Amino acid sequence: MILGLDPLYVGDFMGDLLVTLLKVVVAFVFLLISVMLMVWFERKLISDMQNRIGPSIAGPWGILQTLADGIKLFFKEDLVPDNADRFAFKLAPYLSLVPAFLVFAVVPLGGDFNGDDGDGVVTMFGHDTFLQVADPPMGILFFLAMSSIAIYGVMLAGWGSGSKYPLLGSVRASAQMVSYEAALGLAIAAVVLQTGSLSTHDMVLDQAAPGFSLGAFGIPNWNIIVTGFVPFVVFLIAGTAELNRPPFDLVEAEQELVGGFHTEYSSIRFALFFLAEFMNTITMSAVIVTLFLGGPAGPALFLPEGWWIGTVWFFLKLFIFLFMFVWFRATLPRFRYDQLMDLGWKLLIPLSLAWFIMLAGLRVGDSENWSTTKTYAFVLGFMAFCGLMATLLTAAINTARSERIKAMEDANG
Amino acid sequence: MLGQYLPLLALLLLAAAFAAGSFIASGLLAPRNPSLAKRAAYECGIVPSRETPERFPVRFFLVAMIFIVFDIEIIFFYPYAVAFGGLGVFGLVLIMVFTFAVFESFVYLIGNGALEWGPLKQVARPSGAVSPDRTVETTIRRVGLEDRGIPADDGQAA
Repeated sequence: MILGLDPLYVGDFMGDLLVTLLKVVVAFVFLLISVMLMVWFERKLISDMQNRIGPSIAGPWGILQTLADGIKLFFKEDLVPDNADRFAFKLAPYLSLVPAFLVFAVVPLGGDFNGDDGDGVVTMFGHDTFLQVADPPMGILFFLAMSSIAIYGVMLAGWGSGSKYPLLGSVRASAQMVSYEAALGLAIAAVVLQTGSLSTHDMVLDQAAPGFSLGAFGIPNWNIIVTGFVPFVVFLIAGTAELNRPPFDLVEAEQELVGGFHTEYSSIRFALFFLAEFMNTITMSAVIVTLFLGGPAGPALFLPEGWWIGTVWFFLKLFIFLFMFVWFRATLPRFRYDQLMDLGWKLLIPLSLAWFIMLAGLRVGDSENWSTTKTYAFVLGFMAFCGLMATLLTAAINTARSERIKAMEDANG
Repeated sequence: MLGQYLPLLALLLLAAAFAAGSFIASGLLAPRNPSLAKRAAYECGIVPSRETPERFPVRFFLVAMIFIVFDIEIIFFYPYAVAFGGLGVFGLVLIMVFTFAVFESFVYLIGNGALEWGPLKQVARPSGAVSPDRTVETTIRRVGLEDRGIPADDGQAA
């Protein structure tokens, strides 16, 4: 019924449907395999950084270790604790895993974006299509929606376990994810402001446009540069916190909470949480690449043209961030919970808020043809205003702190 | 454009089927001999003495409420970010006023200690166990013969 109403599926209906299904299956298999490799990569890299060998038995360089672990988990006893809310307990892994798969659908994976006619369209079996599973007009909002649903997975897992550590872990986790989601949303809003569209494909197209050039050396029109670096940094920090990866892995701080929200999970249920976690790492890296580093649109350089070159660029950039996340884990000590909340609420959110407004002002000035003087006046005036607000915020923080010290001293007599 | 949602639906079904299939496979392959100890809540080997608390610190609730305020603000930002071109300076001023209103109430919340977490700076607390005139001199016992009432060797032995 829905398909009949849609112009995309009028005409060669079966052909389009088959291409769609093919893309879905390829994305699905790709995700599973990449998770397998990512777990291996993380273990191998972190053991290199810690001066040990890491997995080395299963397959060449231990590359099949994850597969072996996965198969082993199928044969492990699956327990549901007596205190558990059985429905919530069993539902939670689905709510974690399914969004992890779905987010990847909106990430553009390849296509030729360079040159004048580069619009990322590839032809598959005589059908024009994009190298991404779906390009809904709401694009990046879908990513935010899915990461919100993933919070339900964590919350229900902890609450449904009927045990103390999971409950504590999940309450922490949801407060953390919720806090950083605000910063995440604001950083994305800055990109949307630049692109003028929510569709991820349009974002890549916008970034593939030629940026300004310094002589022979062209600076790409990537959002990391165009939006002035701050949204990128905010997104990277907030994204790491959203993933519950080190240094923000308070959710499963082993010393305090055993395993966090999945303490009571065993066997394949645990495996699915684990799978979702690593899949989210890959997807978050892919989203960062799409939003800020031009996705499959690389600098033209001397490389040959073709749809596959976009894919090569995409994976190169993706790899940088995958490496970075592992590097974070090997390098940075874990935050304390109050430091985590302070960073999110008192620094990242006000900063990205101010940055969004300033970018909006510059964009409006651009479209209204403000003179240079007027633009500078706006920027300086706004920065002065931000300084005032920052002073106000600092004063508020100090007031709250001194009130609390006073209350404690009063209590101690 | 509704056709772009079909792949999402397909992927959703595939992912759900994958999870369900894993559970079924695990159900067929895994051993099943639960015992009371296995089914009890895990607390590092200690038998749980209390029920799982159903209450948790109200701070988390506050965080959720403040988040809703910001989330609504962000929800208004997205349409603006897409459509700011047609709104011009008028839209810019409006979004600034709106942001200021939200931020100002956020500052008020912080000033009232809504997001005040964690340990304070070490406050000197008078304790009955230690006398206030304790100093480094009185607590460290010296090693050696000085100040112990034992006459020091005057060098004759050498």
